[in-house]
Amino acid sequence: MSQRFALAALAAALSLGAAAPLAFAQGKPIRIGVTTPIQLQVGRDTQDSVKMAIDEVNAKGGVLGRKLEMVVVDETENPEVGINAIKKLTAEEKVDVLVGGYTSGVTLAQLPHISNAKTIYLGVGAASPSITQKVKADYANYKYIFRVGPIHAGYQARELSGFISSFVKGELGISKIAIVGENAKWVQDLVPILKKSATEGGADVRMTELFDTQMSDFSPLLAKVKDSGAQYMIVVLSHASSDVFAKQWHDARFPMAYGGIDVKGMDGDFCDRIGGKSVGEISANFAVRAPITPKTIPFFDEFKKRTGRSPVYTAFGAYDAIHIYAEAAARAKSVEGDALIKELEKTSYVGIPGTIQFDEMHDVKPAAPGHKGPAFLMAQWRDKCTREVIYPKALRTAEYAPPAWIKK
Amino acid sequence: MLEILIYGAVSSAVYALLAVGFTLIFGVARILNLAHGSFYALGAYGAYLFAVVMKLPLALAAACSIALVAVFGVFMERVLVRPMRKSQLAVLMITLAVSLVVEQALFLTFGSEYRNVPAFVDAKFSIGGVDVAGQRLLTLASGVVLIGALWLFIQRSRLGSAILAISQDPDAARYMGIPTDRIFTVVMAMSAALAATAGILAGPFLSVQPGMGLLPIVKAFAIVVVGGLGSIPGSILAALMLGYAETLVGYLFSTSWTEIVSVLATLLMLIVRPAGIFGKRAAF
Amino acid sequence: MFDRRIDLAGAALFVAVMALLPLMFSNNYLIGVLTVSVIYGLWSVSWDFMSGLTGRENFGHSLFIGVGAYTAGFLNTAWGLPAWWSLPAAMIVAAVFALAVGIPTLRLKGPYFALAMLSTAVIMQRLMLIFWEQTGGEEGINGIEPLIRSQLGFYYFALAVLVAVTATLVAIARSPWGLILRAIRGDEATCQAAGLNVTFYKIASLVISAAVAGAGGAMYAHYQLQVSPQVFAVVMSITIITMVYVGGMASIYGPVGGAILLVLLTELLRSFGEWRLMIYSCTLILILFFLPEGFIAPVWRWIRARLGARDGASR
Repeated sequence: MSQRFALAALAAALSLGAAAPLAFAQGKPIRIGVTTPIQLQVGRDTQDSVKMAIDEVNAKGGVLGRKLEMVVVDETENPEVGINAIKKLTAEEKVDVLVGGYTSGVTLAQLPHISNAKTIYLGVGAASPSITQKVKADYANYKYIFRVGPIHAGYQARELSGFISSFVKGELGISKIAIVGENAKWVQDLVPILKKSATEGGADVRMTELFDTQMSDFSPLLAKVKDSGAQYMIVVLSHASSDVFAKQWHDARFPMAYGGIDVKGMDGDFCDRIGGKSVGEISANFAVRAPITPKTIPFFDEFKKRTGRSPVYTAFGAYDAIHIYAEAAARAKSVEGDALIKELEKTSYVGIPGTIQFDEMHDVKPAAPGHKGPAFLMAQWRDKCTREVIYPKALRTAEYAPPAWIKK
Repeated sequence: MLEILIYGAVSSAVYALLAVGFTLIFGVARILNLAHGSFYALGAYGAYLFAVVMKLPLALAAACSIALVAVFGVFMERVLVRPMRKSQLAVLMITLAVSLVVEQALFLTFGSEYRNVPAFVDAKFSIGGVDVAGQRLLTLASGVVLIGALWLFIQRSRLGSAILAISQDPDAARYMGIPTDRIFTVVMAMSAALAATAGILAGPFLSVQPGMGLLPIVKAFAIVVVGGLGSIPGSILAALMLGYAETLVGYLFSTSWTEIVSVLATLLMLIVRPAGIFGKRAAF
Repeated sequence: MFDRRIDLAGAALFVAVMALLPLMFSNNYLIGVLTVSVIYGLWSVSWDFMSGLTGRENFGHSLFIGVGAYTAGFLNTAWGLPAWWSLPAAMIVAAVFALAVGIPTLRLKGPYFALAMLSTAVIMQRLMLIFWEQTGGEEGINGIEPLIRSQLGFYYFALAVLVAVTATLVAIARSPWGLILRAIRGDEATCQAAGLNVTFYKIASLVISAAVAGAGGAMYAHYQLQVSPQVFAVVMSITIITMVYVGGMASIYGPVGGAILLVLLTELLRSFGEWRLMIYSCTLILILFFLPEGFIAPVWRWIRARLGARDGASR
């Protein structure tokens, strides 16, 4: 009897002792490491969005009684700098979780270092499917990697080919198209899928070309597209000079309208900063200020109020990532480790572009029948640099208006 | 293939403006000015600053920008380059460092996003079924006029003769009483002004961002090496060759190979004939 | 004789400090920064051996670094060879490139040679992008295995390589070989007239320089665990030249200090965020202006002279 009593007393003492450091830790803030190209719009918006989400979470008491705080390191678009950013955040700043990303090449380079640091990474900007492939292939080492946004390049290709077959061909009656993109990994992943499904959908792909990301004179390329007989140009651009592309297209009044994935074309001031020359272009957006989910409009308004800008796609992922992390950590009662990973995997969170859930590769699931996940919206730049949603038809806010010099 | 003819000509015009300035200062002062691309960038940004931010009329903005860049060029030559003249490597390094500082300064002041420089001509022209932007044609025309004027100036004026003399033999020129240092300054100003003009003309249709001076300087360098350092006709010929080679490669082959054309041309020419096509002798 | 002993003492002190630093501040991030600085040191020393001694400035050193790194990448991922094969392979490949590029270009004078080398590096970079299907393009080769798993272990290995290479190259530089290389810098025509096979010496020193740089490139690949076309960039070559400038041209050991100093400086400037590169470039101008002989080597020579004089005076 006394032995048991002694053991119980010992156990109680030990657990109190164990609880003491835990109570101590409760004061320390949870550090969110943000790795993003701070010199670009996508980077600025990631930071502002994370800040916004952190303020909201902290206002409600934080996570497990601890406040969140942000540490930012510039990853630029260079893999070497990106690797260094991860090392800085994990080894020196000792953050609890990583959020960010934009260039797929940088993220791919960072993966082994993230894995070595055993820190959870919530991707918000890079689209290459390769990023999440290792999660399934080598779960033990790569279980830390999650992609909150955007939907990966393969899904984007699918959405884009839907746009081509039901809108470009279906509504505009154009079947001769050209596919033009920058020579980056995510585009290399995306274009073959796009070409195949567009052709299966009845389009006549007259020309496909990937150009050097640094190219600044697109006239030969645009002339080639014109000569190929294509009447609509599908673009896939992210790092390339979308501004120059739009300006040169407009200045020479090339007789094909264009649209597709144009990351810089998502910037709120894209049209204004090139003197309105992108009017007519249709570019994909993952969310616009429309009631896609109950969170969408409040987010756009609050972001605009705080920063004066309209958010780009990394902002959506970043905002949702912080909330998803906070909620999963509360459920798992832990801010890192396997318990948290298990809870993250079970995420079903209503975010800004849709409901966020992860598949078995920790990749955000796109919209599907029965699942209101993130999807594509094709929005067109209109006179006075406003935007209207053209596709999908269900969310259309205005009828398509061809560029001024093109007869419909 | 009329498109190739026209686009090639426009590309050549921009490159020629850059190359001529570059080869001028080299021929006269033996300065390999790696900051030449900065003059190009500053010209474009200057036009942006004066025309868009300060809302001056475009012609005035352009003139102010050119003047400012010329002054900057003179300042750079006098203060930073002249003390280093004894070592070719030092001049290369310091002009390179200047180009880095300028790029960073532009980035810190204007941000990394592209800026929009307004065009002088907004219309579009259709030449034989080829769609060309008006601004491009203006660039071509201006290039021809400016280079022609420069050529005449060098051939006909007293200052021009002095420049030629110094290019051939700086010491002899000095003995003849030609104020070489002052002429270096004038030539630097001209060189900078030409590059700035190229930036103002091309800015509307090419990209205006802090790093915009890098690729043009690589191409200008390629042209100057191929044409012959110090030879203006050489630069013009090489500019045409390069402009057309790039357009042809991009059109017939694949656009991903265009950027390599200029560098390959430089390397091959250096190996085969360092003096270039019209260079009188290898300059070093 | 005296100089040698003081030199050895200085070198020993340096090695001791470098070896003890990570133990004093057991910070993984610091070890990482030091490892990178040691690898840059390797590249700077190799550059100085050729260009510093002969005076033929090579603006395309990144070519050899890049081919070494990509060789490591290919061998490790596409051909699945264990990581240790990369080092000798990288050295051989880099040496071959040195021959291929050096033979036609070394007869060019000064800046022509510099710019020809620059062009080759740029061309390689472009080719990596054009043949993206084989080379991984912009994203490069990922998933390379680390050479040594332990951070500290890798650091000590790199440090050992740096010390060994520097000692060897300094020895060569002080031998008759080195004298010939310096003579070529002084007046090549006279050397040729004197019957020396100038071409052989120039090419040989380029090959050695390239092999070391290539080995460094392979080590870098196995450290970063990825290679991308940025490794061929002009910025890489210019950074190394700057490091040699700061260290002291033609001293061979100076660039080691230059490399470490500049890498640490870059780290310290990180807190300046966007202003970092601007400060870096301005510093470069100031160094070019006021310290053309460099910083590290002149300081060391001054120390050595003081120590030598002091001992001499006491006799």
